[in-house]
Amino acid sequence: MRNLRWLLVPIVVLPLTLLLFHGFGRDPREIPSPLIGKPAPSFSLVTLDGKTMSADQLRGRPYVLNFWASWCIPACVDEHPVLLQAQQRYGDAVKVVGVIYNDSPGAARAFLDRYGDGGWPQLTDEGGRLAIDYGVTGPPESYFVDAAGIVRAKQFGPLTLAAMDQRFSALLAASAER
Amino acid sequence: MRRLALPIAGAALVALLALIALNALRPGQQVTRAQTAAAIAAELRCPDCQSLSVADSHTPSAIEIRREVDGLLAGGASPDAVRQHFVERYGEWILLAPRSPLAWALPFLAILAGAGLLVIWLRPWRRAGDRAMPPQQAGPDAQLRQVRDEVEALDG
Repeated sequence: MRNLRWLLVPIVVLPLTLLLFHGFGRDPREIPSPLIGKPAPSFSLVTLDGKTMSADQLRGRPYVLNFWASWCIPACVDEHPVLLQAQQRYGDAVKVVGVIYNDSPGAARAFLDRYGDGGWPQLTDEGGRLAIDYGVTGPPESYFVDAAGIVRAKQFGPLTLAAMDQRFSALLAASAER
Repeated sequence: MRRLALPIAGAALVALLALIALNALRPGQQVTRAQTAAAIAAELRCPDCQSLSVADSHTPSAIEIRREVDGLLAGGASPDAVRQHFVERYGEWILLAPRSPLAWALPFLAILAGAGLLVIWLRPWRRAGDRAMPPQQAGPDAQLRQVRDEVEALDG
């Protein structure tokens, strides 16, 4: 029975090590979205400029919903120039839509005045209903919806330049498939 | 001690089952919609808090989720359908208690496995313990007798 001791490594130590390695290697707040591959939640909301915008209007063209807030510092501040770049680089093919998360329209306006308004629509989400429909847990979060209105990807945390290029081209490729 | 372990475990199991049965047989009380909504809210994780339920929080998201729970119940949705509604948006993450039976069984399985390993490892020790005493005839008495015999032989 003594010689069974070598079993300790494969049946106890190895699985535990792998479990801990897996657990500590990821951000517990980064939860996978169950919406991937499903139709995007519909909405009809008012933008900061007072226009009404609905998900149906966006249909036929891929779009990115970016949930953000002026109090989300530094992540949203870091992400903002990347969004401005994305708008420049992909704006013709992909519509960028901001959603103001748990924030007042005034504070959001001030943020845009300070860090640059890219001119894309900014939806005011009173009560955060759209954020709940998307399962948003904290800004910034971005959801990539293809031309057919299917959610293709979720970006948790700020978009970096590299992530932006990768996400946007993947979205365009997915939309072109159809 | 060992003889007692099984009856004690058996008695604990019977007591547990009796408690569960009693709980199930308790006369059904009229539960209001607000009570159901509060119970569901207590099971849902507040998205913009740290480890708080929707029922325990006053963030805008928590307030809106509470309103949505109540609205869904008012629309005739069952409590399970309401939970599912949020799982479809946030994933199982939104539930404070995991739904998978494996998650509940795992700690007990781990304890059982640990007990099994202990038994496997301790058994050879016990057997070795039985053998540890040296045979009587090889004791110091025998040696002493041999020395005495040899000395007597020399004297003789």
